[in-house]
Amino acid sequence: MTTLALEGIDLTRRYGGFAALDKVSLRLEPGEIRGLIGPNGAGKSTLMDALCGRGGPTGGTVVFNGRDISGLSAQARRRAGLARSFQKTNIFPALMVREQVALAARMAETDNTDEVLVALGLLDLADRRAADISYGDQRRLDLALALVGRPSVLLLDEPAAGLSINESIVLARLLKDLASSWNVTVLLVEHDMEVIFAVSDRITVLNLGRVLAEGTREEIRGNPEVVRAYLGSSIE
Amino acid sequence: MSSAVPRDKAKVAAASIAAERRTPTVVLAAGLLAAAGFAVPWVVGSQLALTLMTQAVIHAILATSIGFMIRQNGLTSFGHAAFFGMAAYLMALNGKLDAMPAELAVLAAIAVPAAFAFFAGLIIVRLPALSFSMLTLAVAQSLYELMLRWRGLAGGDDGMAVRLPSRLFGIDIELFQAPSSMFVVSWCALVAVIAILTLVARSHFGVLTVAIRENEERARYVGYHTLVPRALVFALSAAVGGLAGVLFALYNAFVTPGALHWSLSGEALIMAVIGGPQAIWGPALGAVIFFVVKNAMGDLTEHWPAIIGAMLIVVTVLLPQGISGLLNRLNRLNRRSREAGKA
Amino acid sequence: MIQVINGLVYGSFLYVLAVGLVLIFGLRRVTNFAHGSFFMLGAYVSYAAAAHLGFWTGMIVSVAALAVFGALLDRFVFRPLSREEPIVTLLVTFGLLFVLEDAVRTIWGKDYISVSAPEALSGSVTLFGSQFPTYRLFVIAVAIAVALGLAVWLRSTKVGLYVRASSVDPVTTAMQGVDTDRLSALVVAIGTGLAGLSGTIAGPLMALSPSMGGYIIIDCFIVVVTGGLTSFTGAFVAALVIGQFHNLGLVYVPEVASVIPLLIMAAVLGLRPQGLAGPRK
Repeated sequence: MTTLALEGIDLTRRYGGFAALDKVSLRLEPGEIRGLIGPNGAGKSTLMDALCGRGGPTGGTVVFNGRDISGLSAQARRRAGLARSFQKTNIFPALMVREQVALAARMAETDNTDEVLVALGLLDLADRRAADISYGDQRRLDLALALVGRPSVLLLDEPAAGLSINESIVLARLLKDLASSWNVTVLLVEHDMEVIFAVSDRITVLNLGRVLAEGTREEIRGNPEVVRAYLGSSIE
Repeated sequence: MSSAVPRDKAKVAAASIAAERRTPTVVLAAGLLAAAGFAVPWVVGSQLALTLMTQAVIHAILATSIGFMIRQNGLTSFGHAAFFGMAAYLMALNGKLDAMPAELAVLAAIAVPAAFAFFAGLIIVRLPALSFSMLTLAVAQSLYELMLRWRGLAGGDDGMAVRLPSRLFGIDIELFQAPSSMFVVSWCALVAVIAILTLVARSHFGVLTVAIRENEERARYVGYHTLVPRALVFALSAAVGGLAGVLFALYNAFVTPGALHWSLSGEALIMAVIGGPQAIWGPALGAVIFFVVKNAMGDLTEHWPAIIGAMLIVVTVLLPQGISGLLNRLNRLNRRSREAGKA
Repeated sequence: MIQVINGLVYGSFLYVLAVGLVLIFGLRRVTNFAHGSFFMLGAYVSYAAAAHLGFWTGMIVSVAALAVFGALLDRFVFRPLSREEPIVTLLVTFGLLFVLEDAVRTIWGKDYISVSAPEALSGSVTLFGSQFPTYRLFVIAVAIAVALGLAVWLRSTKVGLYVRASSVDPVTTAMQGVDTDRLSALVVAIGTGLAGLSGTIAGPLMALSPSMGGYIIIDCFIVVVTGGLTSFTGAFVAALVIGQFHNLGLVYVPEVASVIPLLIMAAVLGLRPQGLAGPRK
């Protein structure tokens, strides 16, 4: 049996009496792209937070490439190769594009700044201030900050938020490329169903802090419970 | 993608060469500027002018330290006189207690404020920028009160003389107290400080701290610890403030609690704001302008506090990037219009 | 015991000053670096007015004058700068501090001026077997009245509700249709009016001088930060604790008393970076 890239076991996070995550377990195979969907407030971002070590204390265990990292800080998890991007564009506006990608690369074992800049089509913007580039470019810069140094697992929180349809399609193709050529495992939260269904190998559905269903695209599309809880008529 | 690679490679290489070329340029420029300082006492004959210029340069060092903190940490200190005064008092107390050789005391007077800032920084740089500003003022004022009230230690309001040996670092002590030679010493110190801070700002550490200033959370999620670098910037800034205090103590050979007072912190902050802290050299330029204006005021200096207060308000509102920001913008516009002309 | 009451007097007085800053911060997310100067100005205005009109009318004049000043400050400084970084407002109020000190020095001179307590409060009472000036008890009573008045106002009126909501989340509150600008003018006026009040009651306790604000504002800032910036209760507790220990320090270790508030603050912030009652991040 191969080692899982990332495994969350019984992850639980409570705010007062409200369980934002209630014993959520998740198993990601190496190289897999996993879509994570669910209605607003289902616990998607909280799950990402729990996996990458952000926010308050979390019950349960996070195993990363066979190693228990539950006790590690967010910094240590990133250095071990667990990276994430953010729902709200989260970059360094005053720094040059190259400067900030190189900064992120220094913390990782491999410095592949140029490779990442080329892969994300940011090289022509390398010497511009991040504040001065377009929103779509900033989204890709956010992705570049997570991707540099070849992390083995990427947590992406709505990378297509605010992008045009065309930009989203390009992004989806890019993700697929990266996952296969760099062998990165991706956990992807995305509201844009086109993107989710286009790239995910498997999909996990969260609802009210619990896993409602998990399976291939077809299984999720055909799952009546999922349709009732969330997807409604929006699914084709 | 692969077709783009040769062109990309050339671009990558060009960028790294440009980065390597910078360090010697900074060192060379600093050397020339420092050398130019030696000529000043020959050109400027007036003792009065030299006295004023020496004061201006020492204040410029303090203003530079505040500006560096704003630039790298995004935090505005309203109490940098704490480090200035702390260093000056350490020199004076060492003269009184004879605890260590004066040379060592000079180093200690720079290291102690730095260490103090580092440990205090671990607590206070985490606070919102607003709280940081309030607390720097509070800390400096508390030290002021401490020195004012502890008459037994440092003479209270009357201040205390700084007893110095006849030679310091092998140099006759009188050279530190004559305006013509002290100007050169302080000028070289200022140029060295600006050169070192410029190199620091361009280093990995400098880029990292600006990144943390911009977006601390993101810096953590690309794998950096963010507290210690910020405390280190504060410590470096305090060390530079301490250096200014040492020069002040050597030059005046006398310290009063005024060296810790908020009005000194405030003046230095105003210099930094006028000059514009986004350029490392901006605050020093601000100090020069400050002293020129002060000198030109003549009889009006009686109302100097009101004038600098008003100056601060006007500059903050109308010229938020300071004079250096204005110069940089003009420079950029100029270059762009020339490029446009070519094309 | 008498010293404990003296500490209470000092704490009371810190509270009245600090709570004004908490009010302003709650609405405008900035602080007024000239708050100490407003306090000083309050002391001088009531001194000048009291010379003709007596202590009590002087107090009313001072509070009213400072409140008007606060409304102007809000209209011409805080409001136009509310879109800028907070530091811009800090620097402008800091500049104001220089201007106000110079103005007061020009008008009233830089020498110390002493003010006597009003006749009715100039006596002393026997407390725990020793004599204690009545005026100091009056200061405590004023602080209690301010604390109660604010609590009632914040909890039972509509404006108070807006102020509380706004100090938790100014943006959302503004989006609910609350006229933040009008509210803010009122709140800043109350905050600076309280600075006028504390300046007035400080008159008979300490001599007037243009630099009196610089001294008091240190403890005031420490109280506000230690209390957690937005919390009225936090400011109340911090003012009493810090006032108490600073006063005891002045009695037993006068040389180093000025650093005691800092040490208390460092201890609190070391354990709770958000302050005594600040919101957790």
